[in-house]
Amino acid sequence: MRIFWILLKKELHSFFVSPVAYVVLALVMILNGFAFRAALSVLESAPSEGSIVSWTFHAMWFWLSYFFIFPLLTMRLFAEEKKLGTLETLFTAPVRAWQVVGAKYLASVIVYCVLWLPSLFNFKFSAWISAGQVELPSGAMQGAYLILVVMGMFNLAMGCFASSLTSNQIVAAIISFTLSQMHFLLGVFIMVVGRKISDSIVDVVNYFAATEHIRIFTSGLIDSRPLAYYLSLSLLFLAFTHHVVEFRRWRP
Amino acid sequence: MIDVQNLTKQYAGRTAVNNISFQVEPGEIVGFLGPNGAGKSTTMRILSGYMPATSGRAVVAGFDVFHQSLDVRRSVGYMPEMAPLYTDMKVKEYLRFRAELKGLSGHTMRRRVGEVMELTGVNDMRRRLIGNLSKGYRQRVALADALVHRPKLLILDEPTNGLDPVQIRHVRDLLRNLKSKHTVLLSTHILHEVEQTCDRVVMIHQGRIRANDTPENLTRQLRSTTLLHLELEGPGNLAEKLTALRGVRKTTEEKLLVHPWRRFTLRVEPEHDVRDAVLDLALKQQWRVREMHLQLPTLEDVFVELSMNAGIPGDIPTHVL
Repeated sequence: MRIFWILLKKELHSFFVSPVAYVVLALVMILNGFAFRAALSVLESAPSEGSIVSWTFHAMWFWLSYFFIFPLLTMRLFAEEKKLGTLETLFTAPVRAWQVVGAKYLASVIVYCVLWLPSLFNFKFSAWISAGQVELPSGAMQGAYLILVVMGMFNLAMGCFASSLTSNQIVAAIISFTLSQMHFLLGVFIMVVGRKISDSIVDVVNYFAATEHIRIFTSGLIDSRPLAYYLSLSLLFLAFTHHVVEFRRWRP
Repeated sequence: MIDVQNLTKQYAGRTAVNNISFQVEPGEIVGFLGPNGAGKSTTMRILSGYMPATSGRAVVAGFDVFHQSLDVRRSVGYMPEMAPLYTDMKVKEYLRFRAELKGLSGHTMRRRVGEVMELTGVNDMRRRLIGNLSKGYRQRVALADALVHRPKLLILDEPTNGLDPVQIRHVRDLLRNLKSKHTVLLSTHILHEVEQTCDRVVMIHQGRIRANDTPENLTRQLRSTTLLHLELEGPGNLAEKLTALRGVRKTTEEKLLVHPWRRFTLRVEPEHDVRDAVLDLALKQQWRVREMHLQLPTLEDVFVELSMNAGIPGDIPTHVL
């Protein structure tokens, strides 16, 4: 466990000495600002059932920035080490593969969580400045951030896996982006097509449609099924990553 | 310290290391020599626990490299070829990170990092980013990393690669000083270094061991290349008279620019020192001599012979060189 913390510390350090974390943070802050403004204008124009929280995370601006986060945060993780040759230095020190994979993954999850802090500030600040006129239902807040973290963990695990496959960061980013998009679009497209075919397909697709998960959670409903779905898929992709990294040691 | 038995490593369709066996005793400095692509780095990677062998067995510091990989890695200080390092870290920061990974902590860790920085001469650079260091300094940071946990065995893959002559001498002295505490296996292209530093040489070519002996014995076996260079002045066929001397096998005359000086190269038998005989002859014939120089075979000659003929010392054809 000590080795794990040393590795985690090093990974976090690499995130914050490189410009990547700051660039992603700026991108997320800007697009989140647009999303927040879009939500405010919806509430301003007419009375609405949804809260500011649910409108923010339904804005197009939100999804626009969302899928750029993962490739940017994860492409470096293994690809850079392969390119530099430092994977050899790393694995000739007494470290285990799971410690390396876990530390890199957890570091990216921590940076990802930091990215959403400014949006939290947006909500609190608007509630404060409007003297409570803007309502912040606590269920919606908890649900929104919970699903954000869990969905992020899944996408980051895919990014981690993509990075372990190649020594080229661009290729890693493209694989990661494609995997995330495929998962997202599968949910959206089949739902659109499905309405023309049958409702039962929509019911099935709703189990893995990210837009649907966001809708449920931001309305304050915490459903354990998407949580189990994302967490187990995260573990699966981390296991894949571990196997790719550890494969070196078993290839005869 | 190292016990390698019938080690073989195959990459897709290519045999990098072919059934090699050798031992390294504690306290030895062993040079691992061979042309590029001979299988040196592959062997060292297997010994350091980075990759497995296709077949065969290797025991390092009493641990099997495959089954007890973590124990092996704790007792080995490995410096990979090209010295890969994290370019976004500072020297001291990097060495502390590596020392912690290898199990040092707190005050001991900080003191030890200070020691190895002093030892390898990177102390002045401790606050610099590794990415901004020159090749020579990076090489030394990697060496400091290999040393930091006081490993029983050092495996160094071309540690002097990219260093200037002064730095090479520094590394050589460093290795000599380490001898009392560590066993060293190092690979290099600079044969002069091996002759001066190593107790024993393992030569590998095309994945097979071609020679395993002390540098002195290896050069002694290469009898055919002892040469005597002569520059003298005299009339007639000097070459014939020189070849008639006992111990001279062959004489060749080279064209020389300034008349009347003539230059000869004599291939001589190493057990006969023919220099006295040559001088006596010159006095008797009233030749003038202005240069005489005996050239003994070097490890470099052995290396070239082995790489070119893929034979073993002893049956090396005499026409080479």
